Amino acid sequence: MLPGTRAAAGGGPVASWVQEEETVRFGLKGRATRGETRHRRALQGAVAIGAATALVVGGLPAAAQDSSAELRAELLKIPGVGAGSPTDADWQRVGELTLGPTRANVAEGECAGVNLTFLGLNNQGLHNFLFRGFLRAWVDYTGANIEWIDLAQADYNGRLQQAIATGTVDFDILAMGSPFEGDTAGRGLLDPMPDWVKEQIDIDDYVDYLKPPVGTWGGETYRISIDGDTHTLAYRTDYYADAALAEAWTAEGHAGEWAPPTTWEQVNEQSKFLAGKKDPLTGLDAHGVVDPLNYLWGGFGLYFLTDRAVAYAKHPDSPAFLFDPADMRPLINTPGWVQAIQDVIDLKDTPGAYPADQLSKDPNGTGFDQFLAGTGAAVMWWGDVGSNARTSDTSVVGPVVGFDINPGADRVYNWMTEAWEETPNRAPSNAYIGWGIYVTNQVSGDELKRKCAWSAAAHLGGKDLSLWTVAYPSGYQPYRNSHFNYDEWEAAGYDREFIEDYLSSNLDSYNHPNAANEPRIPGIFQYYSRAEDILVNGLGSGATAQEIADEIAAAWEETTDQIGRESQLELYRASLGLSD
Amino acid sequence: MTSSGDLIHVVTDESISATRRRAGRILTRGSFAILVVVLGLQALDALGIVALGFRDWQPTAIAWVVWAVCLCVGQVLIRGEQGKRILFVLPSALLVVSLTVIPLILGIAIAFSDWNLSSRDGPRFAGLGNIERMLNDRFYWNALGNMVWYVLAVVVEIAVAFGLALLLNAQIRARRFFRVAFLLPLMLSPVAVSWMIGKSMLEFRFGPVPQLARALGWDSPAFFASNELAKVTMMVIDAWIFIPFMMIMLLAGLQALSHEVVEAARVDGATAWQTFWRIVFPLMLPVTLTALIVRIIFKLKLADLVINITSGGPGGATDTVTSFIYREYRDRSNVGYGTLLAVFYLVLIVVVLTVLLRPLGRRLRPYG
Repeated sequence: MLPGTRAAAGGGPVASWVQEEETVRFGLKGRATRGETRHRRALQGAVAIGAATALVVGGLPAAAQDSSAELRAELLKIPGVGAGSPTDADWQRVGELTLGPTRANVAEGECAGVNLTFLGLNNQGLHNFLFRGFLRAWVDYTGANIEWIDLAQADYNGRLQQAIATGTVDFDILAMGSPFEGDTAGRGLLDPMPDWVKEQIDIDDYVDYLKPPVGTWGGETYRISIDGDTHTLAYRTDYYADAALAEAWTAEGHAGEWAPPTTWEQVNEQSKFLAGKKDPLTGLDAHGVVDPLNYLWGGFGLYFLTDRAVAYAKHPDSPAFLFDPADMRPLINTPGWVQAIQDVIDLKDTPGAYPADQLSKDPNGTGFDQFLAGTGAAVMWWGDVGSNARTSDTSVVGPVVGFDINPGADRVYNWMTEAWEETPNRAPSNAYIGWGIYVTNQVSGDELKRKCAWSAAAHLGGKDLSLWTVAYPSGYQPYRNSHFNYDEWEAAGYDREFIEDYLSSNLDSYNHPNAANEPRIPGIFQYYSRAEDILVNGLGSGATAQEIADEIAAAWEETTDQIGRESQLELYRASLGLSD
Repeated sequence: MTSSGDLIHVVTDESISATRRRAGRILTRGSFAILVVVLGLQALDALGIVALGFRDWQPTAIAWVVWAVCLCVGQVLIRGEQGKRILFVLPSALLVVSLTVIPLILGIAIAFSDWNLSSRDGPRFAGLGNIERMLNDRFYWNALGNMVWYVLAVVVEIAVAFGLALLLNAQIRARRFFRVAFLLPLMLSPVAVSWMIGKSMLEFRFGPVPQLARALGWDSPAFFASNELAKVTMMVIDAWIFIPFMMIMLLAGLQALSHEVVEAARVDGATAWQTFWRIVFPLMLPVTLTALIVRIIFKLKLADLVINITSGGPGGATDTVTSFIYREYRDRSNVGYGTLLAVFYLVLIVVVLTVLLRPLGRRLRPYG
């Protein structure tokens, strides 16, 4: 889950989606729409679901159905769905119950006298606060001592970059997002994961996109995943169940049924169609998708243009969509990206397609001030929108929200052949990839310290413990195939239909064969941030899509040269898993 | 102790031995030599000429502190009572040098480096590269252009503040309540104001201000959608916070005015308008100009509201130099270029204020 957003307070997927409540909230219309949606998704995402189905629907692997089943059920009862927010006592209890794997690999008291420093976040009272509770039993058992460096999200990047740049890395364990792997692993600052840790955390249970090359550099594994991130489409089911809108859609001569969009061309067509009509829930002006036209968001805003662009620009034959892996030439001014920018400009120039204040809306505004408050038929966001739809007091769309993977496009631009291909394309945008626990090379020279550091990290990234973190407020989303065993969620008290709809949009994105995973090169957010400035300025000044894209490309070339083209190219290729 | 001569200014007439003086000189010069050697070794290590394994510049910092202490002690050893008098000033001077002059020199050095924190190569001398980049950076010049508008808004702010000060200086009912009430915006954190007003009260869909505007017939009350309106709205929010600051300065000035002069004008038959323009305003000019200059300095640092409400958008219309540097430094880790922008802005502010203050200087002195 993206840190620093309001979602972090809500945490994992919705502790209050209680079945009893659902019976009251869901209307017949809503059920029918979601049923249709799932059917449609099953057809569209057949390839992606194939692998996952074997794991999730057809039955879990034996490892997931072993004796830990009782433990997992017990964990999900702490404190219990709908029983209020967990406390430090709950976190400690979870840490205590999941200490089994640690006992198998570390002797009691083995880490006595070992002092470890842990750098992480303190957003919304989550992250490090939970880790302290989870590690309480671990500390008591191993005898190690942990010192904590708690950082606000806004301070994180600066603290990390300064420590790296000035050679003052003063932490042994690090909670870090995957995009920073280029800055750390790429510079040899991390310690490779021992094999016993891979076994302890059951690393093969990770969803596909968290498997190598993510978390690895030069063939070595560095990351214990504790989170998954992806952008999914959240849409209003009531818009598509509205008979008047369906009738108008047909009457105005639009092709196909009035249904949730599956391509960005449809998104734009529906947004233009809805201009001037009324919202079926609020009675106010209706709008289609709400894009954050004030993209300035510390680099994170570009993800929202990327959502549109990858449909046109992420070709299935290559993992690259931002830079040419041959020479780091930016691909952002190629026709696929330009089409995405043009789509945004088209809607901006269509009166009523966007709300009147759209030029001032950043991603937080589109997700929370607009979509959850009933403005707009759809929004692209992380899982936060889904988890907040029913738990946030300001949300009015809880009963009428559905989910899908990122829309695709009717054609895709092949940057390798420099030609459009008239074939449908779909590419989920796994924006930010999620948080992980890493061990720095500060421990590499001391075998005991190294073992203890990895043991602490493995405890936090343990398979059973992770089930609790994704089910309760923690700041993290599901990221293992075993997290998508819907029976466990249902047994814990969650509404089956809603949780399946919500979680399957994540699972289908994670395991999609053409998923767009961002490169983990140093300074990736510098590129994004410069693009945001130019994009916002261009949208405000009336520049053409090509002009905006060309200016971004020039800025990216400059950034690459400043950081070092050769090293960037080397790390970029490594991050894509491409061999020399 | 002497019993003759200048008994007022000479407290002691201690005779300082040559040995003591020598010890003082050795202490001072020795510690300085250590500082130079440590600094030199660290420089050689940093330049890669000699590998000495320094992890950071802490040894130089420690050597600097040791030298500073030795210098102070040395003054007493060498000069005796005179040295003790020097100690009233020397530690403060050294502190200023440590915390202001040295960082400024280092800042200027960084400003001429190409230093991106993500670069493996670390800082490199950039020559005039950063200046050339700045001259071609339209986002920076856009932000500077915005600053001109923001600063011009101060003229309106001072007029409003003067009016409020006159009001609160008059014998009105509930004067104390209004004084406190008018000061409240200044007491609020700009970050809190950003969210309360910029993000909530002005929110297009559910904010009370747009709802009121709709009720009054404005169809689309989006305060941050167009470039011009966004800039004006930002100016208004900023003015709302800082007008009380100017108002309180002006109110203090009004209360310090000689009542006799004002009463004499009235006795002479001056109207209220004439009294204000011919008597009150000229006498208040030093205070007014001081408030104006201090406010301009505050305005030139405007960033928190912009970062929290619009991030500089739409289309860079509300961007300020500080918020742009913030993005350049925090989001892009561009230490060298970001520092150059800050240094250039500092120079610009100093030059403008110097030019502004020179003709105004005489007027700042009350009663000529």
